[in-house]
Amino acid sequence: MGTNAFHSQQKWNLGFIVFLTLLLVLLAQISTNLTLIFVLGISLGFVLQKSRFCLVSALRDPILIGMTELTRAFLLLLGISILGFALVSWGASQRNIPLILNVFPLGVHTVVGGLLFGIGMVLAGGCSTGILMRIGEGFAMQGVAFFGLVVGAVLGERSLITWRNLFGEWSGIFLPDLLGWVPTLILEIAVLVTLWQLAKWWQKKQLGE
Amino acid sequence: MKKTWQTIIHGPWAYWVGAIILGMLNLLVLIVRHQPWGVTQNIEHWAEWIGTNLGVLDDQGFTFMGLMTSSGTYLNLGLLMGAFWATLVASQARFRPIRDRKFFLSALIGGLLMGYGARIAYGCNVGALLNGIASSSLTGWIFAIAVFIGTWLGSKFLVKYLL
Repeated sequence: MGTNAFHSQQKWNLGFIVFLTLLLVLLAQISTNLTLIFVLGISLGFVLQKSRFCLVSALRDPILIGMTELTRAFLLLLGISILGFALVSWGASQRNIPLILNVFPLGVHTVVGGLLFGIGMVLAGGCSTGILMRIGEGFAMQGVAFFGLVVGAVLGERSLITWRNLFGEWSGIFLPDLLGWVPTLILEIAVLVTLWQLAKWWQKKQLGE
Repeated sequence: MKKTWQTIIHGPWAYWVGAIILGMLNLLVLIVRHQPWGVTQNIEHWAEWIGTNLGVLDDQGFTFMGLMTSSGTYLNLGLLMGAFWATLVASQARFRPIRDRKFFLSALIGGLLMGYGARIAYGCNVGALLNGIASSSLTGWIFAIAVFIGTWLGSKFLVKYLL
């Protein structure tokens, strides 16, 4: 981005497009499903890079510089995802399609893991998704972070059993089971709207715009 | 028109545009995969396989073919390649070295903490936070609060020792 002399990389771009197309064609011989997933993965990486979407910035910038624009965009992403997931799981249940949602068990390790993850992503300059994206962008620092992530993940997976034995764990609570679908969605969207207002107020307070 | 095209290719896109498209893609992953988008679990599986083959770890649960036909592999590989392609279309692809030795250390420690934290909490920002909340799971919301507090602690540390 910061280079003065502009070097066109269009030849490389063309080559890469050919390479990706070949990969996709090859994959399509094996599985249509995986091909679609690969296309979605590529799109996610592309959009993340182009929109500079980063959850570290979304959570850190309000604290460091008082900016909450990305924080509010993330709240929007959460809102779309909550409503969309509700719609998709309703559609799946209508057609008897099995669908796994991420309702994970809850324990002391949920909180400890979240704290460590939060501290870690600020130090590493990206969460696990952000690290993959920045490796793609050519950052060496996130390459190092990736190595740490891999080792840490293996250690974490192996110590999970110890955390469970020490503090126990409760099975995850699927909020619609507890409150019903409509109240859950109203409650969740209300929380997001409140956070949105709070973020807006915070930026105004910090930056005075 | 030309200006719009320039913005699409060179970026940056507005955050809210990113949020809407990412939201749609996140839903499409759920529909195609019958399971939400996630990142770290697949990385951990690859690590177990590589570690076992190098003789460092002992986990026979994963095979090369199994990993190569796992959807998580293509999400992660796609993410990396998609981000690289996004820089390439804008002629922005280049190697970006580490400027200072202290950032090497902070990246390594940060990565370790993050990997450990993600696996004891069953997921990272995408699998446990974004899609935990999207799945209307109470655990997702609690994880989000913990990550936010962690980010706050990390930022204090960053300001004090690194910047």
